[in-house]
Amino acid sequence: MEDGAPRKSAVDEVKAQNHRLATQFKARHVYTVTFFCLILVFHVLALYLFCSGFLLSRLVLQDRSECGVPPTDLNTRYTSGSIEKGCWYPKVFDKAVIILVDALRYDFTVPFQPLPGDKQPHYFHNALPVLYETSVQSPNNAFLRPFIADPPTSTLQRLKGLMTGTLPTFIDIGSNFAGTAIDEDNLIEQLYKSGKKVAHLGDDTWHSLFPGYFEPNLTRPFDSFNVWDLHTLDNGVNEHLFPLLEPEMTNKWDVLIGHYLGVDHAGHRYGPDHPEMAAKLRQMDGIFRRVVDMLDESTLLVVMGDHGMDIKGDHGGESDEEVEAALWMYSKRPVFGSQLGHPIEPPPTAKERAVSQIDLVPTLAFLLGLPVPFNNLGQPIPEAFLGTRLSDTPDDAYGSLVDINKLTAWQIWRYQMQYNKARGIEHSATSAPSKRFTTANDEYANYLDDRVGGRHDHVARLYAAYQAENLRICRDLWARFDLVSMSMGITALIGTFALLAIYAQAIKIDRAAITPALLRYGAAGTAGGALLGAVVGSLPSLSLLQLSIFGAVTGGVTATAAGFWPERKMLALPLPSTFWGGLCFLVTLMLCGGFAANSFTIWEDEQLLFILVTFGVLLLGSSLGRPEREDRVLGAIHALSFIVATRLSSLSRLCREEQMPNCRSSYYASATSSTSAAWQLVIPFAVLAVLPSVIASVYARTKNYQGSAVVWIGYALRIGLLMVAGFWVLDVADDGSWFSHIAKETLKTSRVLVAQMVLALAFAAGYATYVMAAPLVDVKQEDVAATEPPAPKALDPDDANGPIFTPLTNGNSTKPKRRIIILGYANMYGTRYLLLPCVWILALQLVQKPMGQGTLALCMISILNVLEIVDANDLRQSSVGPIVLALLGSFYFFKTGHQAALSTIQWESAFIPLKTIRYPWSPLLVVLNSYGAQILCAIAVPAIAVWKVNPKEPGLLGQIAGSMATHILFYAAIATATVVESAWLRRHLMLYRVFMPRMLVAITVLVLVEFVGALVGLVGVRWAVGSVGEVFGWAEE
Amino acid sequence: MEAESTSAKPFEGSGASKPVDILTTQASVFYANLQPVLLLSTIFLSFKTLVKDPVSTLTGLAPPLALVQAIYCVVCLPSSGQAPTQAHKPGQKRKAQKAGQHLWAKITPAFVSTVLTTTLSAPVLYIVVVLFGAPLVSHHPHTFLLALHLALLTTPQLYYVHGLDPTTWLQIASLQVPIDETYGMSLGACVGAWLGAIPIPLDWDRDWQRWPVTVVTGLYIGAVVGKIAGGYVFKGWKIKLS
Repeated sequence: MEDGAPRKSAVDEVKAQNHRLATQFKARHVYTVTFFCLILVFHVLALYLFCSGFLLSRLVLQDRSECGVPPTDLNTRYTSGSIEKGCWYPKVFDKAVIILVDALRYDFTVPFQPLPGDKQPHYFHNALPVLYETSVQSPNNAFLRPFIADPPTSTLQRLKGLMTGTLPTFIDIGSNFAGTAIDEDNLIEQLYKSGKKVAHLGDDTWHSLFPGYFEPNLTRPFDSFNVWDLHTLDNGVNEHLFPLLEPEMTNKWDVLIGHYLGVDHAGHRYGPDHPEMAAKLRQMDGIFRRVVDMLDESTLLVVMGDHGMDIKGDHGGESDEEVEAALWMYSKRPVFGSQLGHPIEPPPTAKERAVSQIDLVPTLAFLLGLPVPFNNLGQPIPEAFLGTRLSDTPDDAYGSLVDINKLTAWQIWRYQMQYNKARGIEHSATSAPSKRFTTANDEYANYLDDRVGGRHDHVARLYAAYQAENLRICRDLWARFDLVSMSMGITALIGTFALLAIYAQAIKIDRAAITPALLRYGAAGTAGGALLGAVVGSLPSLSLLQLSIFGAVTGGVTATAAGFWPERKMLALPLPSTFWGGLCFLVTLMLCGGFAANSFTIWEDEQLLFILVTFGVLLLGSSLGRPEREDRVLGAIHALSFIVATRLSSLSRLCREEQMPNCRSSYYASATSSTSAAWQLVIPFAVLAVLPSVIASVYARTKNYQGSAVVWIGYALRIGLLMVAGFWVLDVADDGSWFSHIAKETLKTSRVLVAQMVLALAFAAGYATYVMAAPLVDVKQEDVAATEPPAPKALDPDDANGPIFTPLTNGNSTKPKRRIIILGYANMYGTRYLLLPCVWILALQLVQKPMGQGTLALCMISILNVLEIVDANDLRQSSVGPIVLALLGSFYFFKTGHQAALSTIQWESAFIPLKTIRYPWSPLLVVLNSYGAQILCAIAVPAIAVWKVNPKEPGLLGQIAGSMATHILFYAAIATATVVESAWLRRHLMLYRVFMPRMLVAITVLVLVEFVGALVGLVGVRWAVGSVGEVFGWAEE
Repeated sequence: MEAESTSAKPFEGSGASKPVDILTTQASVFYANLQPVLLLSTIFLSFKTLVKDPVSTLTGLAPPLALVQAIYCVVCLPSSGQAPTQAHKPGQKRKAQKAGQHLWAKITPAFVSTVLTTTLSAPVLYIVVVLFGAPLVSHHPHTFLLALHLALLTTPQLYYVHGLDPTTWLQIASLQVPIDETYGMSLGACVGAWLGAIPIPLDWDRDWQRWPVTVVTGLYIGAVVGKIAGGYVFKGWKIKLS
């Protein structure tokens, strides 16, 4: 028995030591998280540099065409400048009704053509016959043509093209969420400037593009993004459209624009081959017939689609079905005609006699007597002018077309001269367009001299040929990449990758100990580099922003690398030295290389299955070779489960267009649908029944199914998953109109409410549970037999599967009558931390479609398998765990119904807990839906390093940081590789279809995983380690 | 694959601690060298018909392959439990009766190995091939014949040499057996088949990209390369998994 004083001081000492360790851990933790944020900043800046050079840009000229200033004069055959008669040429119509049917694909409007293998009409066939009927019955009053969109086929980009006549540049694609005003010459502005009153009904995208140009009291904008709603917008447009067509109202407007979204939404929600689509198209048919009846002689009617839809009803890309829209013009007066040698019927497919969407711009401008917008590149549609006759050439159907083509060609010529001047490009008289322009002008002069019949269509075609050649050149030209900016981005990206590789793989000592120094070096270097870059960049003819950013990244990366210098003896080459390291390296290298081939990019989902099963089989083999029987059995069972789960989830497929015909989609009810089948509703309930039990069994095996684990996994997660299942039942019920006696609105409200409750449960209750939870252990007291030796048996730190009952003596060991048994001591950190992925899985499940919920649950089970396998094989230090998790994340991205293609983004997931668009929540929900698997896997990474680790293990934080860095390193490798390969393949035919979408996925995933890994995963470690430290004392770092 | 030469830490009480030497008889040496030639020429000569009609070609090739492998076992390999026969010096004469008995004692295990290969290994490998992503609902004959050929090239020699001792088979599954000709052939066949799957997704639209032509080709080439590498270069090495 000792006396009181030394004992007390010893206790104080322990307390002080503990306090010191706690402070040290917290400080290092903050430094580590900040260091990952710094790497994130490097990546963001590098990617910004690359993208600003790679995503195409076009110089927007501010010039406007003016009514009194035609590009060339027509030898006094017409005096220009009169708004009443027509600016550059006599107008044909006073007024116009322009109806845009979003996603009106050409084959919706023409009679069904049986094809080999497609002999029966689908729901979308023959449901909208009015356009074709009128074009055949009265070809001088109506014509119907395929209307080819310039990709990307997003509505905002299309409206821009349809009103300005310019080609889209890729950089605008992201702005579908928030459109910005068009600041170049366009039809709407021309109408407004010439005093015409433009009324607009429907999709509100128009208002963000053309703010202030519409008659406020006649205009009714509607929210464009609620794709779950097929009818509200269309009915709203109808309600306001028809009154305006009444004779007493027609003097209130000059141009009436109606934008229907029902067809597009039916496509997004159900796919084209669905009764809802047929119903929608029939409704449109009725609307057009009614408009035709109410139309007067001086009004032009235009019906058009802005893009088509793919077989599932989505759009955004550049497949044939997405770009093939329809254009129909109608007039009560017989002013239209068909070209010489063309049949009168509309083309049976979109592959024949198509016009480009930008051709609408000069066509409408001349028909309504407006000047052609300055930047226009489109050519007049011949059919619209072949019936028009000028008084002095009564017999010549081509007479006016020649003049109109000449005016358009001269306008394009004027624009090109101006553009070259602005860009400082020398004009070349020998270029192909210049030659064609000269030829056309010479022939025009001859034509004026002798006016021989039969030459007119020839001259008109020569001008059209110039316009077409010019457009071709422009398409090439505006694929102009800024190679300097791209190279800077690539350099910075590779530098950051090297830095991360050293941090993840080369450090042989405790990472967390040297991270503060690295961070200080890095921050100083970033600031210094930015300053230096800014100084250089402020020189004339250099870009300040570009050089400051480049300076910041290179300075930061170099300085951080310099921070390794004092520890250089503790560094190894970041190359693999073990079997598993080698395999991870090889697989990552193969994937990176594969992205240079479009086939491997297209079939990435199948390769990931192959690779994951390879890992699974080798881990199974490795487990079977473990000396301890327990490790052998545990490892083998989990490896088998991993393999089976992976193959099972591979059955969930959403094929991209390029995979056809070797792929069959199973994600939705059918290949031409985007709704879940009724049987798929079983999946959420199966997840509810299986997933919490599986997680609980893993906790229970190490006696950690206690306290908060029971509360969260046993109750909250089950309740949450039940609500998720309920949500999807309501959704499918709504789709299938199961409860027709309940109002749709009631269903929708209750559905949204359920979803909001799930999110509240996950993020409010779940995070509260995670932050507050005590270590998931139970303390038991037990009488000890007097014969038992009093000394406590130390836990073997190398044996994570050692005794899970760890006897500790109760205070002073002289009275060994009772002892305390801590149940669950062996996996305290692991199970405590794993609560965090268990919190997130609930929110992620909610935003997945039923099929995706099944696969995401399998992903969670696979993560548990990986944790157990890594432990059974003692591979905690190896890169195999973090890399397999990264592969899992990438694999399940595909298995939750996504592809590296814009059209597979599940936009409708924004409406799961919301009725309308709300920023920033709507885009965030789409991100959670798209990258749910990567998010889940990134959050699970720290669990690898702490799973069944000895609670007193030193240097834990450094190992967690190493695992996270390795995990990020995989995504950084993929991102760097795809960036370099897209830059290299920038003239490849498949750039926009295959390589660029994959690159965009890779860079967004990299940024997201770094963000989530640092601010959810690593930050979450703080509470897991903290709660254990508070109770059991802090471990040495 | 990384392999390291280890100072063979022997597994206690198992016959798999040492690499297997092939028998030293003249016939054995001759056939051991003939077998790779046979395998390579088989795949080379039948490649065209394999591309045209994989199912019937692979069906036709299976019995000869089984025979080639069985003869390899009988002629070249020591049977399980039997020490490598050092007893006979080359050229030493044996009694005819004894030789007949001896031969029979070798044919029986070879026959059993072949039966086990077709009835046990082939179905198991069929499941493995499907797990790796082979078509689940179509191409059943193709996949099964691939599994059969995979089985015939990987397992008969191992059954013959190691028998059915569970400990040894755990070692085989966990890559703990020292590399020799037989094990090298099995591993090589697996790696070859694995690599053979890589060209399938390429959009070259060639007939030979058809399932399972590339995998079978990789399998045969891999088996030969593995056999030669295992017998000469890496003999006695052990793969270090962790």
